[in-house]
Amino acid sequence: MQLYEKLFYEALKIRLLEEKIIEVYPEDKVESPVHLSIGQEHHIVSIMEPLTNKDIVFTTYRSHAVYLAKGGDLKLMLAELYGKQSGISKGKSGSMHLCSPEHGMMGSSAIVGAIYSHSIGMAYAQKIDTSTNNITLCITGEGATEEGVFCETLNFASLKQLPIIYIIENNGLAINIPIEVRQSYTIEKLAKAYNIEYHSYEDSFDMLTINNKFSKLVTDMKKSPRPIIIEIHTYRYLEHVGISMDYDKGYRTLNEYEAWYKRDPLVLNETLIKRYKNKIIKDIDDAINFAENSPSSFKDELLTDVY
Amino acid sequence: MNDIIIYKNAIKNSMHYALEKNKNSIIYGIGVTDYIGIFGTTEGLEQEFGSDRVFDTPISEDAMTGFAVGASLGGLYPIHIHIRADFLLLTMNQLINSAAKYRYTYGGLFQTPMLIRAVIGRSWGQGAQHSQSLQSLFAHIPGLTVIMPSSAEAAEKCYKYAVMHYKNPVISFEHRLLYDYKFNKNSSLIDQNNPFDSYLVEEGNDITIVASSIMVQEAIKASDYISKYENISIEIIDINSVSHPNQTLILNSIRKTGKLIVADTSWLSHGLGAEISRMILETDVTLLKKPMKNLGMAQATCPTAKKLEYEFYPNLKDLVVSIYDLHFGTLKGKKIPSEEEIVYQYKYFKGPF
Ligand SMILES: Cc1ncc(C[n+]2csc(CCOP(=O)(O)OP(=O)(O)O)c2C)c(N)n1
Repeated sequence: MQLYEKLFYEALKIRLLEEKIIEVYPEDKVESPVHLSIGQEHHIVSIMEPLTNKDIVFTTYRSHAVYLAKGGDLKLMLAELYGKQSGISKGKSGSMHLCSPEHGMMGSSAIVGAIYSHSIGMAYAQKIDTSTNNITLCITGEGATEEGVFCETLNFASLKQLPIIYIIENNGLAINIPIEVRQSYTIEKLAKAYNIEYHSYEDSFDMLTINNKFSKLVTDMKKSPRPIIIEIHTYRYLEHVGISMDYDKGYRTLNEYEAWYKRDPLVLNETLIKRYKNKIIKDIDDAINFAENSPSSFKDELLTDVY
Repeated sequence: MNDIIIYKNAIKNSMHYALEKNKNSIIYGIGVTDYIGIFGTTEGLEQEFGSDRVFDTPISEDAMTGFAVGASLGGLYPIHIHIRADFLLLTMNQLINSAAKYRYTYGGLFQTPMLIRAVIGRSWGQGAQHSQSLQSLFAHIPGLTVIMPSSAEAAEKCYKYAVMHYKNPVISFEHRLLYDYKFNKNSSLIDQNNPFDSYLVEEGNDITIVASSIMVQEAIKASDYISKYENISIEIIDINSVSHPNQTLILNSIRKTGKLIVADTSWLSHGLGAEISRMILETDVTLLKKPMKNLGMAQATCPTAKKLEYEFYPNLKDLVVSIYDLHFGTLKGKKIPSEEEIVYQYKYFKGPF
């Protein structure tokens, strides 16, 4: 498969999975909050592509895209969302806390900003292990950068020249509050203040360009480790949490959405959609069947792993 | 119908009252001005009172808590709201090292009145970091006043009082599932002049239940349920203020009944039950005729899977069984709530938050 097709395939898988979740959600089989990645799949597959399983990723409650793009398994994920013993974490984590240690995905946190410091810790461990050149990715929304810990970790990452890439997904919203109400700064200038290299990817839909730039950066970083911030301009199609559109709520406009949607390769590229949709749908349906037919989390799990 | 008030509207009334009656009050937090308006409790307030007094904040809980300390020293009355109590953990330093200590450390030269409202998430897969009941953590600290209003009346009276009269930081835990609960508007169980005080919800002679937050409502349900089948006289006390419980009220009740159930929303160890045991043991070791019963969350992190979540929380059945056990010493031939009766409210709650 050509590179573009490969990226497209991965992104389409995430899109179709999220759409499946929307479809089954009203049946009440996923009895927990979901923060869907719809609209924000493209750049995630592009930046996961050059990473190895030893390169580590931390992310947030909006973790479906990262989980799948980093190599996570559909069946395990759906079983987790369905609260089943066969799920990633035996049903204990649900949608907000996906992880996949064997692929280098650590625990996702529902506490905004929590992973910044986990990430510098990981990057520090990577740095002092001179036998490898693995790196850490820390993926959050732009809202999370308002937590003081963001700046504290920038300082430390820069001081110690840690092999860390901060990916800031700027979708302009934190829950329902627009960025203008929350931020007086730009990430670019903050990066500068801490002597950290900054890149901006203006269009999250441009999978190839992002993949290209990012892959080069990763290769370079593995030779000369240093902290980097990448801000990616993107758009959240649905409400913050849940499965609905919320353009009637008055805090953003349908026009805004349409401007993105009209350019969305996962909608426009009918050839590739046609080529892969059926196969992906089948995989998803298999995973749904697996989840449905798995037993619920066993009762004794309640007190297992407590210490 | 006019006699009914739902919990969130009672809170909204108190927020409106705060802005109207205390010109120094400000209300802020993440989501305070969005269309959800903290489950409706701050809806429309920015429009009516302006964005100097009602505003959203950056996602900076720690800073915005220190801000409350400074604003309070500067003469404002901050009301800081968190849509999940779990986010209070980012504010512990300011709450415990500064807010709680300001008056005392400086020999009473300062005071830092403020109200922190924080919502306890429950049910529907809120999971590890969106469901915690942290009252005992804060109640442990001298200098903090911790309340858990269990009814519309409690919430409205406590908040109005806090805003107008109380000169200490108050942390209030609101239970997410209470927001749509209906209450009698004319209820008058709370002492106007001392609304944080623990109070009698139901009077009885056989068993004392000391409960917090939504467990008060569960206790009332358990008592109603049992009254259909058995003649057991149950006394229910709402602890109301976890940090400043009314020891006399509680001990007198236990002296009368000799049988005690403590029903809290949190973990058992080092919790409300432990605190009430302390009260008893320091006063009169012979007060209890039977070992007490403690209800709370299982000693684990909150799991997301429904099946496990259901095991994790105490429910109506646990209460009913505890009551039978204390009263009869057996469950034989006793009517126990069905699955539907237990999960009704948890089933019907569908979030998304
Ligand atoms: C410490 C903390 N404060 C508040 C919240 C509530 N909350 C959940 S997501 C969110 C917005 C985060 O926005 P952003 O970082 O831009 O990420 P996005 O959801 O847009 O991906 C907030 C405030 C939280 N989970 N944790």
